[in-house]
Amino acid sequence: MNNLPNQFCRRTRREFLWESGGGFGAAALSGMLGENFFSKQARAVDGSILVNPMAAKKAISDSKAKAVIFLFMYGGPSQVDTFDYKPNLYPLDGKSIQVKTFGRGGHRNQGRVVGPKWAFKPKGQCGKMISDLFPNLGTCADDIAFIHSMYAESPIHGSAMLMMNSGRVLSGHPALGSWVTYGLGSENQNLPGFVVMLDSTGGPISGPKNWASGYMPAAYQGTVIKADKHPILHLQPPKDLTESAQRRLLDTLNQRNQAHMATRPDNSELAARIASYELAFQMQTHAPEVVDFSKESKKTLDEYGVNEKRTSDFGRKCLLARRLVERGVRFIQLYSGGAHNDDNWDAHTDIVSNHTKHAGNTDRPIAALLRDLKQRGMLDSTIVVWGGEFGRQPTAEYAQGTGRDHNAYGFTMWMAGGGIKGGISVGETDELGGAAVKDRFHVKNLHATILNRMGLDPNRLSYFYGGLDQKLVGVEPVEPIHQIMA
Amino acid sequence: MLICSTTLALTALLFSAPTVVDQAAEEHFEKKVWPLLQSKCLKCHSEIKPKGGLRLDFREGLLKGGDLGPAVVLGKPAETILLKVLDYKGDIQMPPSGKLTDAEIAVFRQWFDNNLAWKKGIKPGPTKVQAHEGKPKRIEAKDYWAYQPLEKVSPPAVKNSAWVKKPIDAFILSKLEAKGLQPAPPADPVSFLRRISYDLTGLPPTPAQIDLFVNDKSPEAVEKVIDRLLASPQYGEKWGRHWLDLVRFAETNGYERDGIKPFAWRYRDYVIGSFNQDKPFDRFVREQIAGDELPSRLDSKEDADRIIATGYHRLGIWDDEPADPLQARFDEYDDLVATTCQVFLGMTMNCARCHDHKIDPIPQKDYYRFLAFFADIGKFSNDRNPFSATSLTDITPLEKRKLFEGEVEARKKKIAEIEVELKRIQDIGISRMSGEDKDAAMANDREAVINAKLKGVLNAEENKEYNKFKKEHGELKKQKPPESQEFALSVNQCRVKPDPIKLLIRGNPHSPGEPVTPGFPSVIATAEPNIPEIKPGAKTSGRRGVLADWIVGPENRLTSRVFVNRIWQHHFGRGIVATTNDFGQFGESPTHPELLDWLANDFVAGGWKVKRLHKLILLSSVYQSAGTAVEGVSQLAANSDPANTLLWKFPMRRLSAEEVRDSMLFASGNLNEAMGGPSVYPPIPPEVLAGQSVPGQGWPTTQGPEANRRSIYVHVKRSLQLPILSQHDQADTDSSCPVRYTTVVPTQALGLLNSAFTQEQAGVFAKRLLREAPASLLDRLILANRITTGRPPSAEQQKADKALISDLMTVHGMSSDNALRQFCLVALNANEFLFLD
Repeated sequence: MNNLPNQFCRRTRREFLWESGGGFGAAALSGMLGENFFSKQARAVDGSILVNPMAAKKAISDSKAKAVIFLFMYGGPSQVDTFDYKPNLYPLDGKSIQVKTFGRGGHRNQGRVVGPKWAFKPKGQCGKMISDLFPNLGTCADDIAFIHSMYAESPIHGSAMLMMNSGRVLSGHPALGSWVTYGLGSENQNLPGFVVMLDSTGGPISGPKNWASGYMPAAYQGTVIKADKHPILHLQPPKDLTESAQRRLLDTLNQRNQAHMATRPDNSELAARIASYELAFQMQTHAPEVVDFSKESKKTLDEYGVNEKRTSDFGRKCLLARRLVERGVRFIQLYSGGAHNDDNWDAHTDIVSNHTKHAGNTDRPIAALLRDLKQRGMLDSTIVVWGGEFGRQPTAEYAQGTGRDHNAYGFTMWMAGGGIKGGISVGETDELGGAAVKDRFHVKNLHATILNRMGLDPNRLSYFYGGLDQKLVGVEPVEPIHQIMA
Repeated sequence: MLICSTTLALTALLFSAPTVVDQAAEEHFEKKVWPLLQSKCLKCHSEIKPKGGLRLDFREGLLKGGDLGPAVVLGKPAETILLKVLDYKGDIQMPPSGKLTDAEIAVFRQWFDNNLAWKKGIKPGPTKVQAHEGKPKRIEAKDYWAYQPLEKVSPPAVKNSAWVKKPIDAFILSKLEAKGLQPAPPADPVSFLRRISYDLTGLPPTPAQIDLFVNDKSPEAVEKVIDRLLASPQYGEKWGRHWLDLVRFAETNGYERDGIKPFAWRYRDYVIGSFNQDKPFDRFVREQIAGDELPSRLDSKEDADRIIATGYHRLGIWDDEPADPLQARFDEYDDLVATTCQVFLGMTMNCARCHDHKIDPIPQKDYYRFLAFFADIGKFSNDRNPFSATSLTDITPLEKRKLFEGEVEARKKKIAEIEVELKRIQDIGISRMSGEDKDAAMANDREAVINAKLKGVLNAEENKEYNKFKKEHGELKKQKPPESQEFALSVNQCRVKPDPIKLLIRGNPHSPGEPVTPGFPSVIATAEPNIPEIKPGAKTSGRRGVLADWIVGPENRLTSRVFVNRIWQHHFGRGIVATTNDFGQFGESPTHPELLDWLANDFVAGGWKVKRLHKLILLSSVYQSAGTAVEGVSQLAANSDPANTLLWKFPMRRLSAEEVRDSMLFASGNLNEAMGGPSVYPPIPPEVLAGQSVPGQGWPTTQGPEANRRSIYVHVKRSLQLPILSQHDQADTDSSCPVRYTTVVPTQALGLLNSAFTQEQAGVFAKRLLREAPASLLDRLILANRITTGRPPSAEQQKADKALISDLMTVHGMSSDNALRQFCLVALNANEFLFLD
């Protein structure tokens, strides 16, 4: 079987079927059950077998980055209160000005300015101006590339979440994590390759659609994992079944399945299913080990804020993210914020209380994650992405108060780690911070950057479906953000 | 001749060059413009596949322009698209990678002022030509099999004529013989009965049915079984599900609220009923595309059915809060075009939304002409309420109607009166507002302005009155329809004279091009559609009926081929054309093209009867052949045709998602076989509900026996699925799903071992064994095996099963009941239970 990854990416569906199907004679069995046996198999559109969708594949270009941690600030953080310093906005506070905005409240032509509610100070050797919301993260400024000129196609949560997660405002397309694992597989077959961690208040709007694999096989969808004793659904055998008794059951099952397979040696699915029970059994042991922090030092736990009430939840998730990356998991998405309204960054009524809460819960864990990855020599091979589905407006949503409406015309995201320059900022919004004006970057440019840095070609990584070579970035070629690429 | 034309071309070039050579302008071009064109534009706008038909790599290219017209009109900056798109203010913004700097834009403006001065000697084309990937070779439409009329074919002659039970067999055997292969021997009766029972009903045979069949030595034994299964109501539940996959059936709309599609379950029941009634397929198509245009029937059930069928148009995703409403409107149309063309015609028309199809002969214009057939269908809803007058039709039978009509009319009248009052007071308020607010209220923002500002401009008395009316209005609106009133999800309030549909340049609804009329795909159209005159009292534009007639008309080459191929696919696991939604050149070629045409001809000649087609296939030798390997024979075949495309044996398959769940309930004796009606909501683990933004929202859990209905009756919520179904590759609901994947992942094993559902079924199964086989453990083991696999256990397996039970009791200290329960869990996890030979 020819598994050269560049061919994998370029293959049309037809070639893919032919190559994978053609390699599957009865002889394939012995090879399959060797030590490289893969955990996952899928059948393609015509019933022929896609061999091991999750097997680790080589990137098409030399890339340092091996894993992605996407810190999703659900609800949409305000750029002018976080990383996009707009000194001229402070004195305008309370003044009514002409400005075109588009949020959940529709299109408007004027609004009352809400000045930034935090002071900004220069941080790191690069002197990046960062808001007082992030005292800890500020110390990592030299490792971060800020993109101030992001824009997206929708200022409405449902479609904007789909845009950030799957590149389209239309439902039904695979998530970024699905594309990355489709292109690269995963290094650890005892754990899912694409993992999602939710906020303690709940999932984001549209829930599982945000990590769905759309028209790709379910093998590429995200698996929700929790940073507690029972990290994966159905991982725990019933209480009245001891491990040894379960082993006994599985031995009988295995025996039965082997006997059944003996007269059906050409059906590789049977072998795959037999192996899947062994993998499931191993997962029951391995997965709890990943979330067992007892071997982490007190210093580490303190740095992540695991022992403090406020930061414990996100701190555990960040620490777990590092441990998953160490174990070869390919794509990890962490949600800061869940459910609705002020349970996430969606600060419609009071920017101060909302952002104080969410930045306060995450600032320290995120800074600890970056430092920890760096000191362990893992930052070079891990891409960290920070941002929400859109930003917020420089003006107020209501007649009273400091709440800001959604804003997809311009917002800030940042990246750090694998193949990304540190201590730089690219792109600009206008002087109000409301719309990207210079070096504008669409969400697709961000996606292209992530794929590129992972060693994939965003304009070639395709999956044939519905008569089209579907791509994460769409039909038109999309450039990665060269300015931030190391 | 050749020399002559070359000279002409050269002359033309010379004359079009600027007559006055301005050195500074040339230098500006060479040093500044050309490098910018190279780095920012020519990747897309030069000789290789110029986007939008526009080339920017030679001067004439700019003046001639592309789809949008000339890129540059010399001397007229306002008409010069090139300058506009650089400003990044309109719908089209270039380059797509980001706005150029002011300095760079100034370079282009200067160039424009220089009358596009070009430097002689600079050759068109990007300096670095990108390596172009090899494309599949395109076959001319006139030579492509799918666009040819159906061939009248006869079954080929074969050597081993004894094997040929039905004409189908001759087609299969002739290909095998050509390769020197033999077909597999007949399947053993138990395997065959399991196979055909699952195939036709999605459920296994009972031990009693197995005994009956195995002991029936009459020559009609197989035919009797086929007739019994085709007549059973479970047949419609199994085959209806295949259809629901295709038409992206779901009962919610997706997106943030993922709100319900009211009464979608009636469409599901309609599909099941249609298969069970053996409704001719042409009628089935007509009802779904244009049932509302079909003549009314006296039978009220049938009359309701033709309306319910149009729910087909309402099953897609729908964003109730789109960022770009016009775009969303055309996304809704795209859903109809894509689904209809793929499902009925096997054409990927959707690829021609923004440009001509990359390989199939489908020009972009065909897409919009096809879309125009659906132009009379309104949006799913005109506001955010999914209970929409455009999507619901009252189908209450006459006798019931009398009961509530008066009540409904009185309410409607009252609502209308109040709305007049509300508007009166709003108008008073608006007259007192600022000019800007007035303008906004006159435009689209009336509601927003009123919500935000009305209160402030009314006096206390007026506000009080307004609020009183508002409250009353809200309450009347909220009142549920009378219990006796029945609705169907459907198309309704269609536009009799729809606005003209225009070709959208690059698929962008904000760049309309020329208007188009409804038209069939040009590659297979034999005539223009003849849209009838609108008659007085018409409720639709009449276009969809014309489309439906053409889809099932005698000239159509695709519909019958596409449908018989699907029936074949679900019997053999793979279509004769493997890509069942795509008969185009990106799809797979047919393995047995003559058989496909033979089946299609026979199907149409037989009156589009689906059960007749099933029977024809099921009575064949190839359907009845063994699925397990046969030594010697299979080795040769496996080497020469490893993917079994020639069907030298019957292809094994895993149970589908629905079959996995239904079979577990069936084995435990828990399956509730009640049919039809509103969907049920079996329990979903809290860990899964936690992924929702409001855990449990839209999932009012069903308890008790209702939760154990067949899986086709489980509510299909786009953003939340039952784990056992999603893990076993349930259809994705956001677009047409022609083929299910079969994945094998360890999380399936975790679910089938540890989930509350399988644990519960194992327990109930054990109790059933104790009840039905009280005499001995051996009896229970035998019964369990017969229920889950159709056979008694082998002597070896009996020994192993007994050893398991004994070990669980002695070594692991379990009670005998608990040990039996664990044994049942093993039985429900066995490959023999989950796979069919």
